[in-house]
Amino acid sequence: MKGLTQFCMDIRNSRDAQEEHKRICTEINTLKGKFTSSTNGSTRKRNVCKLLYIYLLGYNEVKEIGLRESMKLISSSVYSEKKLGYLTLGILLDHENNQTTKEYLDGLLDTTYPYLVKDLQANNDEFNCLAIEFIASSLNVSIDENFVVNPIINDSNENAADWLEITDLVYSFCCSPIHSPVIKKKASLALLCLIKIYPNVILSNNNWILRLLNLIESEDFGVVLSAVPLVDILIHLSPQYVKSVVPMIATLLHDLVVRDKCPIDQYYYDTPAPWLCIELLSLIEKCFLLTEIDRDGQQSPVILVTDIDTNSLGKLRSVVARYIHNASQKIKGQQNRNAQSAILFQVVSLIVFLDASKEAIEGAIHALVLLLDSKETNTRYLSLDALIKLIARSSVGLQPSSISARFEQHLSKIFILLLDKDISVRRKALDLLYTVCNSENYIPIVQKLIEYFPSSDFILKNEIAVKIAVMAENFATDSAWYIQTMLKLLSLGGGNPNGTSYIGDEVWVRIVQIVVNNENLHSPACESIVNLLLSDTDGASGKAGVPENLLKVAAFILGEYGHLIANESDISSLSNQFQLLLSAYFSSSLVTRAMLLSTFFKFTIRFPDEDFVPDVIDLFEAETQSIDVEIQTRACEYLRLATVESNKNLALAVVKPLPAFDRKENPLLTRLGNVNAISNPKRSNSAVNALQIAQEGSHKNNLLGLNEQNRSSNHLGVNSISSSSLASTSRKNSMYQPRRTSNIDNPFEDGNSEQVPLSPNWQSGYQRMRHYDAGIFFENQFIKIVYRTIRDGPRTEYHFTIINNAAKTAGTPITKLRVLDIHSKASKENPSYLASTTKLPDATVIDKTEFVVETKVREILSDSDSPVISMTLTCGGSFNHLALKIPVSLLKTVTGTSTTLEDFKIRWIQIGQQLGQAEGEESIHISPPHRLVSSNIARLMTRIGFTVVYNTPDNEGNILVMSAGIIHTSKSNYGVLITTKSVDAIGKEFLIVIRCTGGGLATLLAQSLREILEDRAT
Amino acid sequence: MAIHYILVLNRQGKTRLGKWFNNAYTEGEKQRYTSEIHRLISSRASKIQSNFIEYQQCKLVYRRYAGLYFISAIDISDSELASLESLHFFVEVLDTYFDNVCELDLIFNFYKIYYILDEVYLAGQYQEISKERILERVRMLDKLD
Repeated sequence: MKGLTQFCMDIRNSRDAQEEHKRICTEINTLKGKFTSSTNGSTRKRNVCKLLYIYLLGYNEVKEIGLRESMKLISSSVYSEKKLGYLTLGILLDHENNQTTKEYLDGLLDTTYPYLVKDLQANNDEFNCLAIEFIASSLNVSIDENFVVNPIINDSNENAADWLEITDLVYSFCCSPIHSPVIKKKASLALLCLIKIYPNVILSNNNWILRLLNLIESEDFGVVLSAVPLVDILIHLSPQYVKSVVPMIATLLHDLVVRDKCPIDQYYYDTPAPWLCIELLSLIEKCFLLTEIDRDGQQSPVILVTDIDTNSLGKLRSVVARYIHNASQKIKGQQNRNAQSAILFQVVSLIVFLDASKEAIEGAIHALVLLLDSKETNTRYLSLDALIKLIARSSVGLQPSSISARFEQHLSKIFILLLDKDISVRRKALDLLYTVCNSENYIPIVQKLIEYFPSSDFILKNEIAVKIAVMAENFATDSAWYIQTMLKLLSLGGGNPNGTSYIGDEVWVRIVQIVVNNENLHSPACESIVNLLLSDTDGASGKAGVPENLLKVAAFILGEYGHLIANESDISSLSNQFQLLLSAYFSSSLVTRAMLLSTFFKFTIRFPDEDFVPDVIDLFEAETQSIDVEIQTRACEYLRLATVESNKNLALAVVKPLPAFDRKENPLLTRLGNVNAISNPKRSNSAVNALQIAQEGSHKNNLLGLNEQNRSSNHLGVNSISSSSLASTSRKNSMYQPRRTSNIDNPFEDGNSEQVPLSPNWQSGYQRMRHYDAGIFFENQFIKIVYRTIRDGPRTEYHFTIINNAAKTAGTPITKLRVLDIHSKASKENPSYLASTTKLPDATVIDKTEFVVETKVREILSDSDSPVISMTLTCGGSFNHLALKIPVSLLKTVTGTSTTLEDFKIRWIQIGQQLGQAEGEESIHISPPHRLVSSNIARLMTRIGFTVVYNTPDNEGNILVMSAGIIHTSKSNYGVLITTKSVDAIGKEFLIVIRCTGGGLATLLAQSLREILEDRAT
Repeated sequence: MAIHYILVLNRQGKTRLGKWFNNAYTEGEKQRYTSEIHRLISSRASKIQSNFIEYQQCKLVYRRYAGLYFISAIDISDSELASLESLHFFVEVLDTYFDNVCELDLIFNFYKIYYILDEVYLAGQYQEISKERILERVRMLDKLD
């Protein structure tokens, strides 16, 4: 654009900021006069472009005029003008201060609605694209987990109809068979934005989701890529589709990675479609992470690895194996290396969900450890991150010896990374050590970290200290080791009297808690403290006095328990203890001095005969003059208590021994949570590990992992600070909050799933299945489905063969065939039957394909609970959704018995006696649509599975058929006896009487038989 | 949301491209973030430090090309290396389109950069990863007037 280039040059050539400013102001003034109603399009375009440039330089006074003129450009019919109009509007519009997201969006819709609708409806692909791009750019807002329950726009909003119209228009582009892939991919992403704003549109249009899920199987890879985030949000909204999405992605990945079917233009250097692979892998991971709230109010995953068919699982595993194999090869070129590593990291975070073998996990660990040697900081950093994730996830439910024990050989490598050039790598190495730490390797890890502590970064010190403390506490089984280690840590980084300390107060507070609550630690702790005080105050060592935190612990512990070791040696006498503390007194901070005063007070009151008591009294007297209020107060109070005889009892009450701590939480864990939130939220989840570690710990006899049995075993039992409270605290702190997308959160879900509309003509197939064990299940112009039933007690296998009807007539294949779901109507918490697809059909059907559904009757059920199979397919450009009911019925479990007529009569009477008529018997009148003779009924009973014990010959007027059988459920088997008598003379009305050994069962069977005989399906 | 924003800043901190996919930011925040990010990134030692920093509930992924920083702010849970290579991919597209791209191209054709970006990313997501197809489409659109 001429003029624009000149203007840009002028500004660049300005000698200084002042000249530049002057030049721009002149230009703004000129431009203001240039927009009149008669300005032609191309001039307006040029001037708006200048305005935009000026705006981008930071002059927002042109905003108003820019917005006005951009609207005029948008309504132009010239492409380049319209395009610049939309761009300018998108850049100039901002979220205002104090504006809610809804206000922002409503304001935007108000101004742009007519233009957007016009351009979306225009008969011009590129105009459509501009409107779609604008929607995806300017209506894209971030949402939180509650966006379904608490949407930005809901049906009751005034402008809901406008939003609906826009969403509907964009949706139609996504699924249109005539539009180009370019529009489809843009529309998918725009639709994603609109769903985030107004999710109910998609929830109330159930058939949209099915069509949109198909996008992921498009031939165009751009469309597939753009569809991934859309599918992600759709399965959030309707988790019941997760099961059908996983096989699609598995096939796609398998084709791309294992079968080398990636189009050449999708390669990035030598790597096939890296971004697409990463997006797909992460989508699968999200499928596994998806949770819903079950009846108990617990978060439970929507799918588990066992829900995935073996074929898809095999594909995913071979994809993973291929990538891990690739990672161990030498890769040339940084682009390739980065792309491959990026994929590897994604694979690694998925691997544990695939129920991978130990070898596979070891292979992954090995591949990642190799990357730790990389010269690139990026790679080292991310490899550590991936290792943390892998180990954290894979150690769930495993013994410590399984995964992280194999890690032993790599520990030295991680120790080296503690000295990496980059602090973020050092921090990650620390996190990894914390993650791999378990009851078998904690000693070398803790010792290494203590060695490392003095030379570590200042800002990492507190984190290291907290981690050492938590590891030592969780895993140590030797109390002396624990106390020595922790006191060592305090003496290393104990801080100075000015109050600066590398270690937060939580660490020493925790040590005190543990010592106080464990009686057997009292004396060893006192001994260690005295020894440390001795070496620290020893002038020859050249140290700058006793570390502050150590002194605090000493003040506390010696005050309480010092007397326990008083008689052991001269060094540990109370007098010596007092001297040690006193010599540190004047060089310590005011807070510590206040603590020490209490310690001295305890000594004085409890052991008034000690020779140092006068010195204490002198100190109290001196400190009554202290300028610090706290110290002065304490000194005064203690002085009065210690010197006035009448206060003696009160004084003794004051120094009563400390009760055990009953704080429910470990202060360290909250600290750990904070540390992690700052350093690596979400990705590494060290706080989650804390939970695991704490749980693991409770199986062993460790310091604080207390459970009932080791409390009595005289270990370091702290009654109140039990492992369960540790666990619950860390759970509270963990950042890993399961996603809340569940039936309960989603008010629309139940309504939808309850009324799955069945496809027309479903009844005939359903009825046939109840009568016969093989036949045609469904047929329309595209497909024919035939079935074969294999019965095995309570278990029934339905083998379905899908035949392409269109192959004969039009020669077109069926594509994108998918069994989406078997929707069971049985209750979720204790289902009366189970139904699952054990074999999936091929997605593309030239001739025919097969799939298998297996059902298992667990207990007595009603036919009305029968499941609905939902499947979609595309044939000749038309999208079809089938919802067909299959019978899961007690009658499908019937087997015959070799009963004689005599047996029949005896049992008939027995059941009558045992259960009575109310429970054991049901009689109904039925009127079949056709006339039936005796042999018809006998054949029908045989077909269902009963043994016909007796039937009258066909030439007799009165019909009587007696049949018997056994009903099988997983819980129990039931005997069934049926008599069928004609009521009229023409065979159109019958009385059926059923007696059955299961209470209430007869009633259900009677209903099923009535539906079969009267040929009604519900 | 995958990418929250993409910025191209020069070494002096001037914005050569600012695409805010996430519309939650006010004008003031955009300005503040831009200058903070420039300060943060220009002070890092490129040889030693990684190309990732956490900033304001996002991860910044950046790479320097001559005098320009290309920066992308992604979700904490997103892949850093994938974003880093994606930035490189975008730079390659620009490089081919402008035939050896330099900062001046980004100044004189500032609006075109946005047009090209709209073909690579949309709504903070990857839209197309084929260089040929992007260039073909951009050139086709250039001809429409």
